[in-house]
Amino acid sequence: MMIGLTSFKTLWSTAGRALPHNARMRDQPDDELMALIDRVARRDEPALKALYDQTSGKLYGLALRVVRNNGWAEDALQETFLQIWRTAPDYRASLSPPMAWLGLIVRSRSLDLLRRRKAEREHLTDEIDEAMADTLEGNSPNPMDTSLASQQAWALHQCLGRLENRQREVVSLAYLRDLSHGELAQQLKLPLGTVKTWIRRGLDQLRNCMAGFA
Amino acid sequence: MNLPQHPELLDRLASAYALGTLRGGARRRFEALAREQAPVRAAALIWQSRVASMNELQAPTDPSPAVWTRIHNLVRAESEQVAMAAARTAKVQPAPGGWLRSLALWRGTTAAGALATVLAVVTAVGLRDEMGAQIGELQAQLSAQPQIEYVAVLNDEQASASMLVTFDPKNGRLTLQRVGGYQEAADKSLQLWALPPGAAPRSLGVLSQEKLLQLAADQRDVREVPALAISLEPKGGVPSETGPTGPVLFKGALIQKML
Repeated sequence: MMIGLTSFKTLWSTAGRALPHNARMRDQPDDELMALIDRVARRDEPALKALYDQTSGKLYGLALRVVRNNGWAEDALQETFLQIWRTAPDYRASLSPPMAWLGLIVRSRSLDLLRRRKAEREHLTDEIDEAMADTLEGNSPNPMDTSLASQQAWALHQCLGRLENRQREVVSLAYLRDLSHGELAQQLKLPLGTVKTWIRRGLDQLRNCMAGFA
Repeated sequence: MNLPQHPELLDRLASAYALGTLRGGARRRFEALAREQAPVRAAALIWQSRVASMNELQAPTDPSPAVWTRIHNLVRAESEQVAMAAARTAKVQPAPGGWLRSLALWRGTTAAGALATVLAVVTAVGLRDEMGAQIGELQAQLSAQPQIEYVAVLNDEQASASMLVTFDPKNGRLTLQRVGGYQEAADKSLQLWALPPGAAPRSLGVLSQEKLLQLAADQRDVREVPALAISLEPKGGVPSETGPTGPVLFKGALIQKML
């Protein structure tokens, strides 16, 4: 199963790339990113810039998905890179693929920021919920993006792809925004029972599917 | 409950735990089991890592170029701060106890009368070596000593001094000392600007929150600049090209020292 996945990934990443050397680079994005993180750990400022150039689009996309506000997402991205600058020496010990490690930092900085902003203006909470409420796009195709994704993320991508669109969206938002069933129902304007059922069925399907990759 | 005996239930709880939808008492009970039983903990970690892959699957969007400028400014300010702290600790380190040691030696020579002359010669030679070392040290200190060539006192609107700025061209360093009580909010940064005549303001860097801080600067940045200003900006500052976006808090003339 893993072999099949790897060759699919290689196929995908080499196909459609005009420049052969570029395609070769894309085959080893993890090695390249890990080398950059190692250099950042040695206080190499140009390496931080190179890491930013390679990953900021992806990480900003994630921050935006969590906080749904350009200014806040930019703040979260900024805090993320300062944290990377300070904690890059800890990266190797995390045993994570580079994008997984970076993604965790972005999500936690984004969630922190969301909590801080909500606490700062408690009276605006409803407004924020309102702004977040427009996200459940009915039957849009799978919008997930696998550029730079680790092998494990590829597996999850395959499995999420088998879920019904709205189900996938609810499962994704539960994690990305750290929302309870109740908060999801409120933000997505769905009945609580529906949210619970979708999450339960979505997780059941994910478990069955991910078992095939383990 | 012996959860590892029920792999399907364990998997279900671990996945809901990782997704974050297992809440309240159920979450606390699961966490307690995970602390006690390694297989439960392992299942939780596996699912945390699987679910976290969601972070890697979001569609990319390019952030505004200003974000990198802010990051760069803050990293710079932090590096300068670290360098300054290192320089401070290096200075405080006690000088080798050369004089004390030779004093003890002198006392020893008086006690041992017969050897006095011989020892005196030896000590004098040692003393000369030490003096040579001290002179070398002094010379090193002198060359490390900043050469202040430009000074500015930046005032706020009430004309009270808020920031003292000196420039040392030899080491390419701007030193800023906060003298007023002003402290920006945690989500704001002060940014220093050169105000060249007939040209747009040019950023000289973003200030960290310390009382005393340094910024790297080239002499070209400050030569023939009649004034400096400090504006209040979003944390990390703004790109030099856009110019100050926030209010100018402090301003003052930059004076070249003649002495």
